[in-house]
Amino acid sequence: MSTSTTDRRPPTAAGGPAGPRRPAPRLPLGHAWQTTRERLAAGGFMAPAVLLVTLFLLAPFVWTVYRSFFSDTRTAPFSWFDNYALFASDPALARSIQNTLMWVVGTVALPFVLGLAIAVMTNAGRLSRLARLCVVLPYALSGSAVAVVWNFMLTTDGAVNQVLTTVGLDSVAQGWLLTWPGNTVVMILANAWQATGVAVILFLVGLQSIPPETLEAGSLDGANGWQQFRHIVLPQLRPVSIIVIGMSLVNGLKSFDLIWVLTQGGPGRATETLAVSMYNETFLELRPGAGAAIAVVLTVIVLAASWVYLRRQLDVKGG
Amino acid sequence: MSASGRTSSAAVPLARRRFLAGVAAGAAVLTAGGCARGASTSAQPGTTSISNDNATWDDGYRSAGRELKKITGYELRPLSNPSVTSYQQVVQMTLQTSKSTDLVKWASGYQLKRLARAGGLTDLTRVFKGYAAKGWVRGSSWDAVSYRDKAYGIPLYESYYVLFYSKPVFRRLGLSVPDSWDALLHCAEVLKRNGITPFLASQVGGWPAIEWFQELVSKSDPGFYQRLVDGEASYTDAPARRAMDIWHDFMRKGWMTSPDFDQARGPGALKEGTVGMFLHGTWQASGMSAAGMKPGTDYGAFILPTVRPATAKSVIAESGVFVVPGRASSHEAAMANVGAWLDPSVQRVWSDFLEDSSANPKVQAGNPVVAGLQRDVARNRRQALVRYWEASPPSLVQGNSNDLGGFMAGQTSPAATLKRMQERAQDEWAAWKRDEA
Repeated sequence: MSTSTTDRRPPTAAGGPAGPRRPAPRLPLGHAWQTTRERLAAGGFMAPAVLLVTLFLLAPFVWTVYRSFFSDTRTAPFSWFDNYALFASDPALARSIQNTLMWVVGTVALPFVLGLAIAVMTNAGRLSRLARLCVVLPYALSGSAVAVVWNFMLTTDGAVNQVLTTVGLDSVAQGWLLTWPGNTVVMILANAWQATGVAVILFLVGLQSIPPETLEAGSLDGANGWQQFRHIVLPQLRPVSIIVIGMSLVNGLKSFDLIWVLTQGGPGRATETLAVSMYNETFLELRPGAGAAIAVVLTVIVLAASWVYLRRQLDVKGG
Repeated sequence: MSASGRTSSAAVPLARRRFLAGVAAGAAVLTAGGCARGASTSAQPGTTSISNDNATWDDGYRSAGRELKKITGYELRPLSNPSVTSYQQVVQMTLQTSKSTDLVKWASGYQLKRLARAGGLTDLTRVFKGYAAKGWVRGSSWDAVSYRDKAYGIPLYESYYVLFYSKPVFRRLGLSVPDSWDALLHCAEVLKRNGITPFLASQVGGWPAIEWFQELVSKSDPGFYQRLVDGEASYTDAPARRAMDIWHDFMRKGWMTSPDFDQARGPGALKEGTVGMFLHGTWQASGMSAAGMKPGTDYGAFILPTVRPATAKSVIAESGVFVVPGRASSHEAAMANVGAWLDPSVQRVWSDFLEDSSANPKVQAGNPVVAGLQRDVARNRRQALVRYWEASPPSLVQGNSNDLGGFMAGQTSPAATLKRMQERAQDEWAAWKRDEA
């Protein structure tokens, strides 16, 4: 492993002219031994990390893939792709995929748009620090704690309905967590309330790294506020945007804690995402094979989405 | 802040070595700690550890343990995990290790059969038969604690599913305990008219969705309920359809709480008078006391009347069990304690703590409401039916509970819900029988 890493050419060499390369000098025997020793030492330092990743990440993943090809009966015979076929036959899993897509769209779009808007609005001004703190604070809370608070608000006799009833909007009051797709939508909103904080921080860092000269130049050229934002600020926020969207994408795909505490995927498995379905099938329905198949599909989707997105974005940036 | 670069460069290797030595020592300590048996499940002289999924029972186990110590020399040391879901996983996983507790609280029926089938439990047949010879356990409990002609559990408690009600509210509205279906409907109508939700119904936490289903089916036709849970009748048969129609009708009339009403708030709601009747196990009696309600004064309880007067009388019974893992840390002590658990002196303390009926039929409940229910069950010769949660294979019950939760939230019609439940029943019973074969 270390050999392939050290032998790889640096990325700059592919894009631009390579600098003068010194021919490798022939090393005497003593030097060769020293090089080997250094490699061994490097390997020794890497070994614990490699071992831990192999033991706790790769090995369980390989076992999960293996398990997904076996049925969930007591003798657990090899069953080819039967567990994967559940995606076509089980309506709960079809709903789970629908919900996961809703979560991905919601967790990418809302924190991005809200985070950007709040960051731009609170970047300057005296009260901005306080406003920023209010938005960022939920990010410091654990997902489960956030869910408990939202549960207090969203149950049928919870705070939201009580407020609505008090102000005479009885007709709007409803069981927010009971009917699909409303229950998934309100949970996405609750998630956005928490997740926007980190987007704000990242966008603020991005905004503060924009050279003021570029804005001044735009202003001198007669660009109005919107034009400056659209054509000067936004393009310079691209690297930050890539990170915000990438993080939100993965967070959306693996969303679990908020759903589990608020609805446990119910009622009637209506609010499950793939992560919740994986847990439900494995530990509640006692079908580890089906759970493993869902885990594999989810992993493939997360990896593929991240890879496609980052590859595309980084290519564009690089080009 | 060294004064010169020389001093600094000389200090670095030393600091690095110390750092590495520190890291190595830390790792060694962590590894040693990780390999050691967890302090909580390790053998501790004079005690037996017990896994428990209800932390509010810890004091009861300790009190009963003090009585046990007089007989066996071992107290009970409860280790609680209050989330039922994670509790089940933890128990099933630790049973395969050497870190399991000495005693484990578990559900009876098919839940126990599945656990026993996986192996790792101690055969308690001799202990059970010893109790039966003394008349300290009901002979009818055998089916609920056995698998393939061997007992793997000793009854921990026995609860009945009943409707708790607020005596002051009933008195104020001129209502009396309903002794017929029509009287029950009358109570519900009066309560609703007075702005009180007549019945508590919930699907929070998943399993509570079964409560009204099992009640309405069994009070429509107890024989059918038994055949249904045994896999010999269909969920789409007439008695099940009738029961679901009644339930649907109750929901449409606004007689039931919203399905996201948490049952933990049940005693409080009864006390406040926002809910009229609370269907739950008699083990909830201790929750009533915790809410400051006195049995017989502030609350009473009755068994749901049958839908038709001629229908045979029955009661849904829930019985938890103690199991002893084969690899329990203090196996001998655990066996001694299960062997004395149903002793009347222990059960007196335990039953008084739970305010529930004991699994030992010779011990009368101290709570007058529960004692009244025990008398009702005996006088009317009510057929004890196993709670739905334990009465069929776990995967079937879990899936059907989800479907009932969906029905409660208005996602599916009664007919569609029953159709789904029946489809699952066919698959899961076939799987169970295949596994058994």
